[in-house]
This record gives sequence, structure tokens and C-alpha cells, in this order.
Amino acid sequence: MKRIAFFFLPLVACAMTEPPVSEMTAAREMVAQARANAAQDAPHDLATAQSKLGHAEAALQRGHYEHARLLAQQAEADAKLAWTNAEKLQAQRALREERSGG
Amino acid sequence: MRTPLKLALIAAALYAGGCATLLSPEAERQLEEARASHRLASEDPRVQRYAAAELASATAALREAERLAAEGASAELVEHNAYLAERRSRTAQGTAQIRQAEADIAAAREERRRVQMEAREREAAAARARAEQAELARREAEMARREAEMRSQLIARERLEKEKVSLAATELAAEVKRLETELADVRAKQTERGWILTLKNELLFDSGGATLKPGAQRALDNLAQFLRKHPERDIAIEGFTDSLGSPDSNQRLSERRAQAVKDGLIGRGIESRRIDARGYGPSFPVASNATETGRQLNRRVEIVINPS
Repeated sequence: MKRIAFFFLPLVACAMTEPPVSEMTAAREMVAQARANAAQDAPHDLATAQSKLGHAEAALQRGHYEHARLLAQQAEADAKLAWTNAEKLQAQRALREERSGG
Repeated sequence: MRTPLKLALIAAALYAGGCATLLSPEAERQLEEARASHRLASEDPRVQRYAAAELASATAALREAERLAAEGASAELVEHNAYLAERRSRTAQGTAQIRQAEADIAAAREERRRVQMEAREREAAAARARAEQAELARREAEMARREAEMRSQLIARERLEKEKVSLAATELAAEVKRLETELADVRAKQTERGWILTLKNELLFDSGGATLKPGAQRALDNLAQFLRKHPERDIAIEGFTDSLGSPDSNQRLSERRAQAVKDGLIGRGIESRRIDARGYGPSFPVASNATETGRQLNRRVEIVINPS
């Protein structure tokens, strides 16, 4: 379903003239952070984030700035969710270990 | 309004909408999904407490999506913002769950630490109790040991004392026996009252008199020597007569004779207070007054050596 939103995005790339520098930076940083902790615990969300960041980079290259901006925002949101879910699972594991007398 | 202008306005509106379309079922569905996620997150008190910033950004995206949908903006933009709202709502919930787990971990650690501390404290208390018990037992043992030691010392002292007493008694007996053998007509016997030396009156006095005969001097010398040697022992000098003659004169005679023996000993340096002299007349005969032999035995002076 997210994929559908993502496919329609090219159509809205209409009226942006400046490259989305801050959105791209935020997305790259968040994806890097998620890559560091989510490979094991949230691989699906991480893959989505990485894929969207790749498309955002490609859109940026082609000058489709509005498209790149939206993809970057989504990639950042996906990466943040991946990171959060991985962190959550790790914390819950730590809690189980602690309770089992860790 | 003229038709060409009308047409131009419609064209302009269409152009200004750019990629604008009506809200598609898919956009509507995504918006609904975003609302549900956002509701779930915002109703969770843990999210409000632990992930307020994340929730605020989700709320902003949802409002943007609603606004765009209401204004009839493009489905893509609506979907984009709905998507962001949905992701951020779930991120907010996840963040709250992380904080919750962290708080639970901290509480569990604290609980474990408390349990360990209590166990340590119980162990320490038990160790203290054991040490106190041991100390008590040690003190009791020490007291018992001292008591036993004191008792054995007491027993040893008593035994020594008894030995000393029995040695003294043996020595005294030997001395008294020596007196007996050295002095003719003196008999010694051991009684409940102590040693009693019996001296016949014939040895000490002329008949009817109370003046010591020269022959008595040796007996008194020996007796004085004995008393000097045993300063701890006092003596009683008791005079007796037979039953011939008046009891009164016999009584007085026996008293004077006992006194004469006492004086003789005082004259030999024995302290007066150590000597008790008294007469009993014919009382306490040791033999029958019916015969001369018996009467001779009854006429006597007894020296009682008090047991110390």
C-alpha cells in the first residue's frame, strides 16, 4: 500500500525549483542510524527506508526536486520507525533477560 | 460573464490545480489508516508522557493531510502526508514502548538490587547472630572453666589445710606422747575435748596441801615448754579430789591446786589468758572411791589441751 503511494509520487513532481537539501540530509542520517541497529530486528522497515532513499537520490540527480523531497521525507520516517522498532525489541529483550534474573 | 472568459477561468483553475485530482479511494483509505494509528498513539498515556515530540510531528502531518484532502489537493500529497502521519504515530508508540521498557528495566534492576541487598542483610544478620552465639558460648565456657579452676583451687587448698591440720595433730600427738613418757605418773589420752594429760596429785602436792612439790617442777617445765612451742593452743587446768572429807573443803582444795599449777606455768612465762584453772572437788570421779586404788586415781589434776 505504501508502494502505491510511492508509485504515484512522480506525478506530483511539479513546482519545486530548489533541491531539498535539508530533507535529503535528514533522510541520509536517519537511514545510516537505522542501518546500525535495525538490520536484525527491523529488516523490512529498514529495506523500505533504504529503497526510498535510493529513489530520492536518483530523483535528486535528475532534478526532480519535489519528488526527491517527498521520497526523502518518507525515507526518513521509515528509517526512524525501523530504528525505533529495533530499539524497542532490543529493550524488551533486555527487560526479559533482566526479569529472568539476568 | 462572457463564454471565452468563463472557459479561460476553468482552464486557469485546472492549470493551477496542476496535478490536482479528486480524493481517490486509496487516499481515503490511507487517511483513515493514518487517523487510526494517530488515535491509537494519542490515546496512549505513555506516548503523551514519553514521546510527546514524535506525537506532535505525527499530529502535524495528519492535519496537513486532512487540510489537503479538504482543499481537494492532489491524492499523492494527501497520501504522502497520511503516510508520514501513520509512520510517525507508530514511531511515537514505539518510542513510548522503548521508554516503558527502559523504565521497567530500571525498576527490575532496582528490585533485584533490593532483593540482593535484603539477602545480604539477612545473611549479615545471621552471621552476627552466629557470632554473638559463639561469643556467648565462649564466655560461658570461659566462666565454667574459671569456676572449675576456682573449685579445684579451693579443693586443693582445703586438702592442703586438712593435711596441715592432720600433720599438726600428728605432731601434737607425738609431743603429748613424749610428755607422757618423760613424766612418770602422767597419762595422756585423746578425747572429744582434745588431749587430756592426767597428773596424779601425789606427784604435785603433799597430802591436803596446795603447794607444788619440787618433783612437780620438772613436769611444769615440760608443760611450759610444750605451751611455748604451741602458742595457738590454750589449756584448761582442772583439779579433782576423792570423796573423803567435806565437799566444801575438797572443792576449795581442788580450786587452789588448779590455781597453783596455773601460777607455776605463769611463773614460767605462759600468758595467764591462755590458762583456765578451776576445781571440781570430788565430781567426775574416774574410778570408785570405795577403794584406795580408786581414790588415788580420782585425786588428780587434768590438763586439757584445747583443740585449736
